Amino acid sequence: MILRLKWFFLFMGLILVLVFSAAYGQQNKFKLKPGAQGKLCLECHDAFKEKLKNPFVHTPVKTGECTECHHPHASSHGKLLDEDPNKICNKCHEGIVPKNPKSIHKVVMEGNCVKCHDPHASKNKFVLLKAGNELCFDCHKNIGNAVTKAKFKHSPVEKGCVGCHEPHASTKGKKLLKNDLTALCVSCHKTDQPNFSKQHMNYPVAKSDCSSCHDAHGSNRAGILFDNVHTPVANKTCTQCHETSTSPDALKTKKAGFELCRGCHSTMMNDTFNKNRIHWPVADKVGCLNCHEPHASPQKKLLTGDMKTLCGKCHIDTMATQEKLAEKEKQENAAAKGRVIKGAMTHNPIQEGNCEGCHFSHASDNAFLLKQASTVKLCEACHDWSKHTNHPMGEKIIDSRNKNITMQCLSCHRSHGTGYRYLVPFPTVTDLCTQCHKQYKR
Amino acid sequence: MKPSKQHSAKGIAHSVRIKARKVTAFIFLMLAILSFPIKTFSAETVKFRYLQSVYFDDKGGGLKQPEGVACNEKSLLVVGDTGNDRLLRYSYQDRSLKAGTEIKVQQLSNPIRLQINSKGEIFALDGKKRRILRLNPDGTFKGYVDAEGIPSPSTFVPRSFKIDRNNNIYILDVFSARVLVLNADGKYQKQIPFPKDYGFFSDLSVDSKGTLLLVDCIKAMVFSATKDSNNVSPLTKNLREYLNFPTSITTDNRGTIFVVDENGGGIVILGQDGSFQGRQLNMGWNEGLLYFPSQMCINDKGEVFIADRGNSRVQIFTLVK
Repeated sequence: MILRLKWFFLFMGLILVLVFSAAYGQQNKFKLKPGAQGKLCLECHDAFKEKLKNPFVHTPVKTGECTECHHPHASSHGKLLDEDPNKICNKCHEGIVPKNPKSIHKVVMEGNCVKCHDPHASKNKFVLLKAGNELCFDCHKNIGNAVTKAKFKHSPVEKGCVGCHEPHASTKGKKLLKNDLTALCVSCHKTDQPNFSKQHMNYPVAKSDCSSCHDAHGSNRAGILFDNVHTPVANKTCTQCHETSTSPDALKTKKAGFELCRGCHSTMMNDTFNKNRIHWPVADKVGCLNCHEPHASPQKKLLTGDMKTLCGKCHIDTMATQEKLAEKEKQENAAAKGRVIKGAMTHNPIQEGNCEGCHFSHASDNAFLLKQASTVKLCEACHDWSKHTNHPMGEKIIDSRNKNITMQCLSCHRSHGTGYRYLVPFPTVTDLCTQCHKQYKR
Repeated sequence: MKPSKQHSAKGIAHSVRIKARKVTAFIFLMLAILSFPIKTFSAETVKFRYLQSVYFDDKGGGLKQPEGVACNEKSLLVVGDTGNDRLLRYSYQDRSLKAGTEIKVQQLSNPIRLQINSKGEIFALDGKKRRILRLNPDGTFKGYVDAEGIPSPSTFVPRSFKIDRNNNIYILDVFSARVLVLNADGKYQKQIPFPKDYGFFSDLSVDSKGTLLLVDCIKAMVFSATKDSNNVSPLTKNLREYLNFPTSITTDNRGTIFVVDENGGGIVILGQDGSFQGRQLNMGWNEGLLYFPSQMCINDKGEVFIADRGNSRVQIFTLVK
C-alpha cells in the first residue's frame, strides 16, 4: 500500500513539474533574461519610447509583451508578425463579432483592424487612429460631406456615429445599427407626444420605417426629410394616397400599384400605357414603387437608388457581366504595363449607371425599350460611326446572314459587352468580318 | 444400377450451376429491360437538331421581331409577328413548311404570347393593350378573354398565359400577383396566389399532369404548384450558373421542362423534379443560333419552334436523344 502511495506521489510530482515547465516555456518562449522583454526591444526601436507616452497604450505593449504579436527572429509575415496581419488580433479579441450578427463592418470582416486602431498606442480611447466621427468619415466620405453641408443637422450625428452604430458588428440591426431602425429612432423621438402626431398628420407611423422619409444624417429640408420630397408629402396631403388618419387601415393606400399613381400622373401613365412595349414592373403589384420612393428620396425623381443599383436589382445578369468585363479590362490593361490597348471592353453608359442613355425606363415603341427604332440613330447620339467605319449600314443594307435584318451597329457590336475589345462578339476582327465575308475565311 | 455417391454429388453441383446461370441470365435480362426506357427517355440526352428557319409570309413579306409562337399536334404553327402587328399561320408537316397566311385582326397589336386550344382557336396576348384575344380557327376575332366572374381585385394585367389539354386558361396576372384559372369559356374557376418571396414572374406553363410552373426572371428560378394545390413553392434552386434571364417556359409531353434564356440566347432543360439536365443552343446570328429569343413551343412529335426575336425569324428544331 505504502509503495503504491509512493508511486502515486512520484507520478503527480512529475506531472506538476511538466505542467510548470510547459507554462514557463510558453510565458518565456524566447528564454529572455529576467526583466528583458519589451525593454530589450526598445533598445533598438528607440522611436517607440515617444509613442508609448500616449495616454492609450495597447495592453501587450504596456506590459512589454512585444512577442505576443511579433517574432523576434523571423516570420513569414510583414513586420515580423507572428501571424497573418488580418488574423492576429483575433488571438486575443476573439469575440469582437457576436454570434449571428445582422451586419458586420467590412473592415472587421476583412480583419483590417489597423484601419481604425493603432496596434501600439494612440491619443484616442480604444487606441483609435482618430477621434470621433473624423475617423469614420475618412472612409465614409460621402456621408461626411453630406453631414457637413446639411442645413438641418441631426444632433446624435454631431455627438458621434457610435450613438446609433456599432463599430464592429450588430446583432440587432442592418448597417451596424444598435437596434432595429424604428426602435432606435423612437428611443429618442417619443411617438406619444402631441407634436410627433401633429408632424405626422396624426397617422400611426410609430412602427413605420422612418428612413423612408427622413435622412438620419441630416438634410437640407426641415424635419431632416430627404432632399427630394413627393409633393403630397411636402404639402401634408397624405389623403391623396392614403385612407384618412382615423381609418382603421389608415396607412393603406387608396388604390393598388400604378392605379394609385395614375390619379395625379395621368399624362405620363397614359403615355406609358399607349406604347407598344411596357417595362413590366410598372404594371405589377408593386408598380411604380419598384423604382420610386413614395415619400422622399435622396435621389432625383424619387428613385430608390442610383440607376446602376436600381436597374441592377432586377437585371442582375447584365450588371454582373459588366463587373466581370470591367475587371477583365483592368487586368489586361495592367498586364500591358503602360502599352495602350485600343478599344474598350465595357460600354461607358452602363459603367456610369446611365441606362437611360439608351433605354426608356417606363415604356417604348421599340424592342428592348430602346429610345430609337434604329440603333444606328441611337448610337449616333454619342458615336460618329462614319468616322470609324465605311461599312455600308442602314435600313436598305441587308445583312448577308439573314434577309430580315439590316446592317446596323449591333450587327458587329453588342452594346452590353462581349469580353472582347470594341464590344465585338469575336476575339479578332478577322473572325468578325468573315462571318459575312466568308470568301476571306482561312 | 444405382448411381454412386460421387456421381450424385456431381449431378447436384451441375444442376446448381445451371440454376445459378439461369438466375444470372434472368437478372441481366431484367436489368436490360429496366435500363432500356431509362436510357431512351432520359432528359439528359435531349439535344436540339436544327431543321429550318421561317423568315417570310406566303407573299414574301419578312418577319419583324416575332415574340410569340404556338403549335399543335395537327401541324399548325402560328407565329406572332410582333413588329408587324399580325399573326401568320403555317402548316408544318413532314418537315415541310407551307403557307404563311397573314391573320390581321383590327383588335390585335403587338402579339407577344400565343396559344392554340384543342378546337383550333387561336389565343393571343396583345402586349400593347395587355389583353388576351380569342380568334376563331379561321383567324377571325371571337372576343376577349376577360375572366368573367373574377373576384376582387377586378383589375388584372396578363404578362403571359397558357392553355392546358382540357382547354382551361391559366393567366399570369402580375398586377394582383396571382395565377387566374379560367375554364374553356373564359369563366373564372380559381386563383393561385404568387408565393411570398419571388422576384418577377415572366411566364408560366402547365405540364401534362396539371402541374403549374412559373419562371422567375429575377431570381432565375422555377416555381411549381401541383394540380389542385394553391401553394406555389420553389422547384429549383437559383439557376443563374446555367442561364442569364429566363423569360419563357414550356414542357414536352413527358414533362421535361424547357426554359428560354433570353439574354443568354439558349435553352435550359430541366427534369420534372427541377434537376438541371443541360443547356442547348447559343447566342448568334447564324441559323441554329438565337439572338434574344422569346416564346418557345414543342409539339407531340418533338418539334420545337422558337420565336428568335432578335434575328426576326422563327427557328425550327427537333429533339433528338
